[in-house]
Amino acid sequence: MLSRDVDHKKRDILFFSLPYLTVYVAFMVFPVVYGLYLSFFDWNILSTKVFIGLKNYVEAFRDPEFLSSFSHTLQFVLISTPLIIVVGFIMAMIAVRPTKTGKIAETVFFLPYMLSTSVVGTLWAWIFQKNYGLANQVLTSVGLSPVGWLTDPAVAMTSIIIATLWWTAGFNMILFSAGMKQIPEEIYDAAKIDGAGSFTTLTKITIPLLKETSLLVLVLQVIASFKVFGQVYVMTGGGPYGTTRVLVQYVYKTGFSYFRLGYASAMSIILFVVILLVSVIQLFRKSDNTQ
Amino acid sequence: MKKPLAILGELFIALLTVLWIMPLVWLVVTSLKSENTVMSSTLSFVFAPTLENYRKAFASTLLGRWMLNSLAVAVITTILTVLIDSTMAYVLARIPFRGRNALFLFILAGMMIPFEVLIIQLYLECTTLGLANTLVAVILPRLALPIGVFILTQFFKAIPSVLEEAAFIDGASRFTVFRTIILPLSKSAIFAVAIIAFINAWNDFLWPLVAISSSEKYTITVGIANFQGTHGTEYSLIMAGAVLASIPQIIMYLLFKKNIVKSIAMTGIKE
Amino acid sequence: MKKMTGLAMVALVLASIVPIGAQSTQKPLEITFWSLFTGGDGEFFDAMVKEFNASQHEIVMKTDTVKFDDYYTKLTAALAAKTAPDVVVMHQDRLSTFVPNGVLLPLDAYAQKAGIDLASFEQAPLNNCRIDNKLYAIPLDVHPLIMYCNLDLFAKAGITKLPESLSELFSTAETIQKKTGAEGIAADNTTATYKAYTLTRMFLSMLMEQGVTVFNADNTKANFNNEAGVKAYQALSDMVNKYKVTPKGLDYDSSVADFKLGKAAIHFNGVWVTGLFEQQPGLNFIAVKFPALFGKNAAWAGSHTFAIPVQKTIDEKKIMGAMKFIDWMTNHGYLWAKAGHVPTRKTAVNTPEFKALPHRSDYADAAKYVFSTPATPKWPQCYDAISDSLEEAIANGRDAKTALARMEQTINDILKK
Repeated sequence: MLSRDVDHKKRDILFFSLPYLTVYVAFMVFPVVYGLYLSFFDWNILSTKVFIGLKNYVEAFRDPEFLSSFSHTLQFVLISTPLIIVVGFIMAMIAVRPTKTGKIAETVFFLPYMLSTSVVGTLWAWIFQKNYGLANQVLTSVGLSPVGWLTDPAVAMTSIIIATLWWTAGFNMILFSAGMKQIPEEIYDAAKIDGAGSFTTLTKITIPLLKETSLLVLVLQVIASFKVFGQVYVMTGGGPYGTTRVLVQYVYKTGFSYFRLGYASAMSIILFVVILLVSVIQLFRKSDNTQ
Repeated sequence: MKKPLAILGELFIALLTVLWIMPLVWLVVTSLKSENTVMSSTLSFVFAPTLENYRKAFASTLLGRWMLNSLAVAVITTILTVLIDSTMAYVLARIPFRGRNALFLFILAGMMIPFEVLIIQLYLECTTLGLANTLVAVILPRLALPIGVFILTQFFKAIPSVLEEAAFIDGASRFTVFRTIILPLSKSAIFAVAIIAFINAWNDFLWPLVAISSSEKYTITVGIANFQGTHGTEYSLIMAGAVLASIPQIIMYLLFKKNIVKSIAMTGIKE
Repeated sequence: MKKMTGLAMVALVLASIVPIGAQSTQKPLEITFWSLFTGGDGEFFDAMVKEFNASQHEIVMKTDTVKFDDYYTKLTAALAAKTAPDVVVMHQDRLSTFVPNGVLLPLDAYAQKAGIDLASFEQAPLNNCRIDNKLYAIPLDVHPLIMYCNLDLFAKAGITKLPESLSELFSTAETIQKKTGAEGIAADNTTATYKAYTLTRMFLSMLMEQGVTVFNADNTKANFNNEAGVKAYQALSDMVNKYKVTPKGLDYDSSVADFKLGKAAIHFNGVWVTGLFEQQPGLNFIAVKFPALFGKNAAWAGSHTFAIPVQKTIDEKKIMGAMKFIDWMTNHGYLWAKAGHVPTRKTAVNTPEFKALPHRSDYADAAKYVFSTPATPKWPQCYDAISDSLEEAIANGRDAKTALARMEQTINDILKK
């Protein structure tokens, strides 16, 4: 049996992985590599390409708009990631309750995740519309003054984060509740006998035992947050005056509105490398923990 | 003693639930208002509902056609994704060879690519391949789903190897083992990948927009984007479009809720 | 037997798909066409194309529409791959990003061949489509920035005269605001779903009223950090910060809605909202050309044009078909005027149909005062940057000196690259 296995191993590996690898290389790896190639050129899509070496990269680190877009993205990652994870966790604690309200809540919490970015974006742009949107209408009807949800630079990013939270927290809820369901009931029973309160149970049992899940949620969430684009594009268009412009949006605009494809490629390569580094660090920490 | 706290808890849950459903309620409410009343009566939930926006959507566009296109794209993408992701995952989970971990990382790296920035490169590539303005071009770049490979690999790894070994001793080929043992045991994980692939394909916007140039081949997300006016925003019509584009997923979700929830949970389950 | 039925079935199916051969010898020429008109504009435009198709039998226009935000992404990709359609709609201010790359066809010879009388066009918008003396597009319309006034609010405040100078504008707005409680001037000054383009449009118009262009003659440097620029900026800033006749943080959708619902006395916007305001019951308004705030009349205007992309192989027949379509569309500009836009062709303006439209004649002469935006491929980026800068400066109440110096720096950086 063993020799037979060795005989066909190569063939089988090829046979099983070729379809995926073909599509993957052709439609994901190739465009990235092509983008890397383009990042060394000055090219406006319609003109002839001019090789300029590393100039695009040098320009990026001197371009105030690139740097500010980068810091807005970072700001989004740093604020939204913990928030979405914590809310997802709280939702999971509600969802695992075997009550009817728990079931209804779970259904409702996850529902937004099924919607597309454009639907979520336009819906929240309308809710946060300054003079006619739901949020301010509610505020003014109870005598509070309206907020410039999308028009006040101090608030706009928060509004985008609120919309993202509403949209994606349900996904993390499911990951967490799956993890919670795996924790044996006996552990909780034992804790109860020892007289542990619900807060102690949470901090001493649930959270430590969900370390695995939490790390996975964290990795997925950080990657998703770095790639933020659609909500911003639809809700604020990067405004007011560029204060919510994120990296993917700047790349998109540079490439497709200003036609500087070489420069846009260079910036997307930088973003790709950053995401790769951050995720690899997290993934390695994860595998260290499990082994 | 504990009672008030429990009531408070229930109240909190109820509040959070209402808060979460509110935007969707408002989405539907707005879509039922006429363009002239939408701005003047934002808060009123009592009004004469009108299906005018929906009528307009159906009368002036190829809405039915776009829905069918989206359905075709999403279903074909889902089936093919599951096929190629599962065979790839089988290799990564069950056939040990040198460089396997490297290959796994190489594939996971795909998760980090922001798809939006590759659009032009992809378009040029698809045109060179003669795929411009075809639904094939919409489908192909979406088939390699790294998260799908990740989920399936984790799941396949957890299947006890005794079953497989027994089959090998009986002279079964890897293909037979994959088909008769691995796949049937992985229904829930496969469902998870299928759901993710379906949602992705259905909600995809930018790529189909660029890849398709004739309106009879638009997908629903591309089609309804045109509801947004050239200058200015007609909120009630846009919301009607949003409702129409979301109905299929919402129905699917309510029908298969249990399976969907269970299968997304797969992402997080470790061996 | 079974086989025969099968064959018959196939034949039947085929017959139902393929149009009957005998009648289709005179098959109309299919010409593909991309447009960016959606919403209200889209309805009027699609109806026009339909009417063109019905008016003759040689040509069928096949239109595909993509909304404005994504239109140029798609068009650029298609031009790069040489898969663009036979005719496209293009904003005049985008021509200079495409023409230098040789992706658009010069149209002079074809226009002559098709018998299009170029003299029947308003010359200003037509000449804006010329680059290096070659005609690269034919304008369908101009859509200038104009002023909308709510006549009921004017009457309520006892004002009978429309503002014609800067001081009149502010005093009128203040009076109405005080007496009626309505908003004086609805002009968007912050980004939401759209950038605060109205600020830029007003700024450019005010510069031009003083005879100053926004960039220098060869489009290599900003030309607004001067006396004219200070006056223009100060006017915009005063409107929001000093006289407070325009609410701070007003976005585009709100400014339109405020005027539409009768909550604002004066509104600055392009002509395209005229149709929308007409549909609002009880709104009694007038639409007039942008007032000469600094002496002369001048108004920013966009212009929708038709252009013909260069194809892999040039098909004369299709190009001539396309020219015929362009000729028909521009000649029937009064149909398009229903969407608010001003036709570019005298033959379209001098029709009973156009004259019967309310409001349009009040601002039709605005077309005479329109100017073109700088012919540089950097313009779209500069347009965004100026909008962002003005928005930032006005929101934070910056003084003219600081605001203009910063904006100049930003623009010069972009132009230098």
